[in-house]
This record gives sequence, structure tokens and C-alpha cells, in this order.
Amino acid sequence: MALLEVQDLEIAVRTKGKLLPVVQGVSFDVDDNETLGIVGESGCGKSLTALAIMGLLGGTTVRITGGNIRFDGMDLLTLSDGERRSIMGNRMAMIFQEPMTSLNPVYRIGDQIIENIRQHQKMTNAQARDRAVELLSLVRIPNPSERVDSFPHQMSGGQRQRVMIAMALSCDPKLLIADEPTTALDVTVQKEVLDLMADLQTRMGTAIVLISHDLGVISETCDKVAVMYRGRVVEAAATENLFAELAHPYTRGLLNSIPVVDSDVDWLEAIPGRVPTLEEELTGCAFHPRCALVTKLCATSVPQETEYKPGHSVRCHFSGKVAP
Amino acid sequence: MLAYTAKRLLTLIPTLLAASILVFLFVHLIPGDPAAILLGDTATPEEVAQLSAEMGFDRPLHVQYFIWLGNVLQGDLGTSIFFRQPVLSVIGSGAETSILLASMTMIWIILIGLPIGILSATRQGTWIDQITSSGAMLAASIPTFWLGLYLIMIFSVTLGWFPSSGFPSLSDHGGITNLRYLLLPSLTLAAPNAALIVRLVRASMLDVSREDHVRTARAKGLHPTRVAIKHIFRNALIAVAAAFGFTFAALISEAVVTETVFSLPGIGRLVVQSILRRDYPVIQGVILVIVVLYMVVNLAVDLAYARLDPRVSLK
Amino acid sequence: MNTLIFFQTAFAGRRLATLGFLWLVMITVAALAAPLIAPFDPLEIDPVGRLAEPGWPNLFGTDHFGRDTFSRAVYGARMTVIIGTGSVAVALLAGGLIGMISAYFTRLGHFLMRCVDVLMAFPALLMALALITLLERSVFNTILVIGIVYATTTARILYGMTLKLRGEVFVDAAVCSGAGHFSILFRHILPNLVSPLLVQASFIFAFAQLQAAALDFLGLGLPPEVPSWGNMLSEERIYVTRAPWLLIYPGMLIVLSVFSMNLVGDALRDSIDPRFKDDIAGV
Repeated sequence: MALLEVQDLEIAVRTKGKLLPVVQGVSFDVDDNETLGIVGESGCGKSLTALAIMGLLGGTTVRITGGNIRFDGMDLLTLSDGERRSIMGNRMAMIFQEPMTSLNPVYRIGDQIIENIRQHQKMTNAQARDRAVELLSLVRIPNPSERVDSFPHQMSGGQRQRVMIAMALSCDPKLLIADEPTTALDVTVQKEVLDLMADLQTRMGTAIVLISHDLGVISETCDKVAVMYRGRVVEAAATENLFAELAHPYTRGLLNSIPVVDSDVDWLEAIPGRVPTLEEELTGCAFHPRCALVTKLCATSVPQETEYKPGHSVRCHFSGKVAP
Repeated sequence: MLAYTAKRLLTLIPTLLAASILVFLFVHLIPGDPAAILLGDTATPEEVAQLSAEMGFDRPLHVQYFIWLGNVLQGDLGTSIFFRQPVLSVIGSGAETSILLASMTMIWIILIGLPIGILSATRQGTWIDQITSSGAMLAASIPTFWLGLYLIMIFSVTLGWFPSSGFPSLSDHGGITNLRYLLLPSLTLAAPNAALIVRLVRASMLDVSREDHVRTARAKGLHPTRVAIKHIFRNALIAVAAAFGFTFAALISEAVVTETVFSLPGIGRLVVQSILRRDYPVIQGVILVIVVLYMVVNLAVDLAYARLDPRVSLK
Repeated sequence: MNTLIFFQTAFAGRRLATLGFLWLVMITVAALAAPLIAPFDPLEIDPVGRLAEPGWPNLFGTDHFGRDTFSRAVYGARMTVIIGTGSVAVALLAGGLIGMISAYFTRLGHFLMRCVDVLMAFPALLMALALITLLERSVFNTILVIGIVYATTTARILYGMTLKLRGEVFVDAAVCSGAGHFSILFRHILPNLVSPLLVQASFIFAFAQLQAAALDFLGLGLPPEVPSWGNMLSEERIYVTRAPWLLIYPGMLIVLSVFSMNLVGDALRDSIDPRFKDDIAGV
């Protein structure tokens, strides 16, 4: 049994009294020491999926309407709030897209890490502080025993993201969810942070769910990939299989919009149009208004998930015709 | 911190000087001979001539200002026409009542305003929130004197629980129990100001709760109450502290009315009575004292603000 | 037209604020048609019918001079509207002009705003008391004093808003097309300030009522013979135990009117341009 199993997850948003589905029938699983990449344009439901796993879907407007999330043998959706909180920040941790604002500006970073440690482990403040310094050196913050007393505003974006990683790792989580952890950072810092995460994974055996809109990042760091479009997984496979044969026209579009250094192509192909908004009623395949291969069938019937190759699933009526 | 305080004190001086000019001009804006105004109707021509020479009323205005400022800096705010005593000691005799009243009111504001504000914010959108936030707006719409009159009628006249007026000093017979004289006045004075704090706490907590770091706090698995207090309320306190100077000003204004309703021998009632008695030296003195006090409070607020928000540079 | 839409969105789904608005409309009608509504002369003294309980024909009873409280309350609405609109007009005109001009002509503005800072060092009622000492008790002077007190805060707020607008592209465009200072300030910038000014006006209106009532109570506001709600409370307060209705009616009228104005201001502020939201402090 895998560490994390998501089955037919459904999430809906309540607007003006109506429930609009934003995530539909999403399934995937992640093993120990494995990295799953979830990729898609903004608004495709990948962040909501991550927040749902973590238990951070807040308020009454967004909620899970169906499906299962199993973690380490537990059915997360049936746990009490207290049981759920004993997992959050402990065996399952999350880092966010906005390192500049994700730390509380009024507390020292050390105290924010200590708070996470002492929430879940019986430690004195001094012990937790030693642990925080150790974690900061683990994420390669220079001078950790001094920096532990810094305020967030005294650090750069990359350093703050490292602090977030240190905080997330403070209780040796089995699963780390990283929602666009490098999007807000400079390109050089991006690579450092990703390398750091990969390095820590090999040392600690943590499972990672990495969410990104950048197929390049995904291809370099993930063992397997799920491509999401408008609330559904449209293609999923092991990373090398996926990049060997792109079965879905959307995935192909995403890849074509990445600049390639040293290639002969001197123009980039963008996917025409945009992700349709929630309010727009859509029949058939959600991608059909933007798809080059669209037929009448695409506009009327939702493609079912089919096995394109063993271990490579896709939702497209014409998946065979896409491969180069 | 010390350097920052010194720097803020220095920036205060020009405003303080400008305000003192206005207070000085106050007496000159009243039509008539300033010396006669300051001495009242009963003064003899000799007395008027003597004060006129002392204050330099026959000399240019700026010279008069410096004479006056020199006196003020030595603690000489003139002599009350009505009490025939130095203005400073007249003001001093009202200080105990006013300071005790303000302190008790501040305690009420914190005890009532903060918890209700937190409750209202954490129950946002529920009936509790609707009742507390509309209730707070209603409380802020009640004239203080009207509320005071009804509290007197209910708790003093009908139930007889509390004295209705006056305040013997703490050093008089009764000692600390004399504070019961200030219970109704301080509650009256606290009501509209606590209401303002409720709305302020609610609004700034809702602002903070939308910030990213609150999600981080929840991701740690912290109990919602801990998130609400340690992460949302603590940060909202920065905005609340910034508005505290405003609360203090409102308090001073309303204390004038409250002290009059409850016949408290404080500085507020002294102003009103002095206006009715045309005791101009006292009016001038009280205004000066309150303006200085208000500026000191604002400075304290700034310093508290700097302590609450580490992002404010103290250099 | 824009203002109408602004009002519509502001009050949609806000029952309490809508009720508040309707109450203010009633007050305005009562103020305009006071002689038609009031059954008696508000100043007519009746030594025989003193301190009559509420009933017929004196709906709200009579005061210690035997004057009809209901009629005085209706005429009091007139004072409420006059004091409120008057103070708002003074505050917005004086404060608005100082604020806008300060933000536009920066060197002069710097000096003017320092002056405003100095005036703001005087707590509101204290400043009103100091001014009132210099003046006689009259309707005009009460309006003037309260208006001046709130002109300072208005100047501050308008200063901030105009500064923000001055940096916008449409102002640059106006400058490029050769518009003069006057035209930029009043034809291009001012129209963008209408809705925040409306919000500010509603809060000043509410504060002005409370300040005017407080001045009346202290015996330093309107002349005692003027039938205002504050004066009614001030004059009859010694009868609070013998004739409680003398205080209940005018007091409730003040509370309801101030509360309504605050509700309206709150509703308007919530639908205002988010750029200006933080600038206006209300209740």
C-alpha cells in the first residue's frame, strides 16, 4: 500500500448558492522516497488538491465533496479535527509558494520553527532551539546559531524558503507537499532550493508532492508526473515514460511553451486561449476549445481515462494521434 | 531604542512650539485688553497696569510670546481669576480624579473591547459577529452624557448601588473604596471607546487572517484558538496600537462631558466651568497641559508600535 | 448616474443599513415639513400643562415649561439636519480644498500639512471648546466650530487620496494635453474623489451630531431657546426621575440618527474603491 493514496477526489466551490466543481475524479498515489509532480496552468485545481490533502481547505466556500484521501493507512477525511492536526506539520508538512509572506513578520524565525517542533514533540525550549539551529544548518543557512534569532524581514526570499523547508522538516515528516516552492524565487536560487529538497529526500526518505506550472522543473526532479487541466488529471505516467511519448495534446502544448537553449527553433508555441473560468459551462473534453485536434466528439463527450501504455494513463479521445 | 526615542522627541519640538503659539494667541483673540481679560472684571486699574507691564502687553507680540513661554517653562501658567490661585495648582487639584478616571476607563476598554473584538472576528459571519459588531456601532452612537444620566438613574437612584456624583480623594476617609465613585463614570466613558476598539480589533484581525503566514501557522497543526491569538490577534495588535492615540483623544473629549454629568472634580469639568466663569487663564492652562499630554501619548504610541512590529526600524 | 449605482451596490443585501437610510430620509422629511407635522408651536409655554405624561394631544408629553415635546422633537430634526449638513459643508470645503491643494502644490502643501498636524494636536471637543469660548452661542457658530474641527481630519485624508491620484496615468495624460492646474484638480481629480468624500461626509455627519449634542449639554452649543435634541436633554435633565420621557425621546432620536448615519457610512465605505478604503476611519 502506498504512503498517500488519493482516490476520485472531488472539490467544489460555493458561489452564489451554487456548488461548482473545481476538482473532479482526481486519483494518484505516492510511495515513500518518491516524488510526484503535479503540473498544470494556474486555475487547474492543483493547489486546491494539495490543500485538501494537507487539510487546509478553509472556510465554508471550498470543500471536499467526494472521494478518499488515505495517508499511512488512515482515512484522512474521517479523522476528527484534533487527530488531523496531530498529523499536520508532523508526519505531513507543506511549503508554500510565497516565501516572502509565509512567515509571521513579528516572530523570530527560530521561534517559529520551535513552535512547530514543540507542537508535536515533548521537548524543552532549549532542546527545540538546538534542533532549530541544526535544521537551519541542514537547509544550508549560513551562521545558523545567529540567524535563528533573525526576523523574516532580515532575510532574502531564498533564505526564507529554506526556513520554510527547515520548519516543514522539523518533525521528520513522511510526506512533504511543496506548492510551487520556487516560483517566486530567482532562477539561480530556484535550482538551489530544488537541489536541497532532492538532497534531503535521499537522506530522509521523505515522499514529496511537488506542484508546479513548470514542466522543466518537474522533469528534473520528479519520479512520476500527473498533468492536470481544469480539475482533472489528463495524463499521468512515470517521468521518463511521459517525456518519451506525450499522449495528451495539452501536455504537448505545455512542453512546447518551454524555451529550449541551443535549439534551432527561434519561436515559442503558446497554447491558444486560456483555462476556462469556473462559471463557463463546458461540455465534452474541457480542453477542446483550445485543442488543435478537436472534433465533434470532443465537444460532446468527456473522454474516459484510458491506458495508453502500461503505467501511462491519459484522458483523450485521440491520444494515439498526438505522439510525434 | 534610546536613540529612536530621542529622535522622536526632537521631531516633537516644532509641533509643540507651533501649538504653544496657538495657545498663546488664544487670549489675544478675545476682544479687549489682554491684561484685563486675564485678571477678570474685579481687577483694579493698578493691577491691570502691573500685569500688563509684567507680561509685556505694550511690547510687540513675539516679545510677549517669549515672555509667556519663559513663564510657562518655569511652571507659571498665570493666576486663576475665580480661585485666585496659580493655574498650575488649580489644574493639579483636578489631576487625581482625571488620571484615576482615565486609568479605570482604559482598563474597561481593554477588558471589554479586546475580548469582544476577538470573538467577533473569530466568529465572522455568524449571528454572534452580527450582534457584536452592530452592537458596537450602536454603542459608539450613544451620547456619553445620555448614557451617564441613565446609569445614574438605574444604579444610583433606583437601585442605590453606587454613588451618583462627586469623588472624594483616595487620601480621604474611605481610601481605596472611594474608587466606587468612579465605577459608573468610567463605564460610561469606556462604552463608546470600547466599541471603537471592538470594531478596530475585528477589522484588523480579519485583514491579518487573510495573510499567508496564518496558513503556515495552521499547517503546523496548531489549535485554531492558538492561531487566532498568537498569530492573528498578535499581528492585528500593531494596527490597534497605531489607533490608540485616537482613542486617547476621544477619551479626553468625552471625559469633559462625563465629569460634568457625574460632577467629578476633574480637569474636564474644570474646563467647562472655567469657560462659563470666563476664567481665561485656567482655560488657556488646561488646553496647554492637555495638548502636551496628548503629544506625549502619541509619542508613547509610536514607541509601542515600534516594539510591536520588528519591521519598524529603530535607527 | 455613477453615484446612483454606487448607492445601489452599497445597500444591496444590507437590511440594517437600508433601514438606517430610510430613517434618515424620514428625519429629512420631518425637518423640511416641520411646521406641517408639529401639532403645536415648539416654543409655546403652557404653565398649566407642565410635565404632562405622553398621551393625547401631547404624544411625547410636555416639558417643565409645558412645551409640547413631540413638536420640539420635530423641530429638533430640523436642527439636526442643519447642523449636520452645515458642519459637513464647512469640513469638506475647507478641509477638502486644503488637502487637495497641498497634495498638488507640494511646497505649499508641506507647510499647510504641518499646520494641519499642529491643529490635530488638539483633541476634537477641546478644540471646539476653545473656539466656542471666543464666539457667541449661535447656530452659525456651532456649525463653524464643528466644521473646523473636522476640517483637519478631512484635509489629511484628502491629501493622501489626491497624492495617490496624482500619480495615476490619467493625470499625466491631462497634463500632456495641456490642461491647467485648475482643470486638473477640479475636472480630472475631483470626480474620482466623489465617492470617498461621500463616505467621509456620512461619518462627519454622525460625529457632528454627537459633538453638537455634547456642546448643547455643556451649555456651550446652540442658544438655549433653540429646540434641538441636545438642548432638550440638557434642559430637562434634572427631571430625569420625575419625567423620564423627557430624556428618552430626544436621546433615542439622537442615537437612532447617529447609528443610521454610521450604518450608511459603513455600507458606502465597503463598496468604495479599495484604493481609498484604508484612508477613511469611521466608527
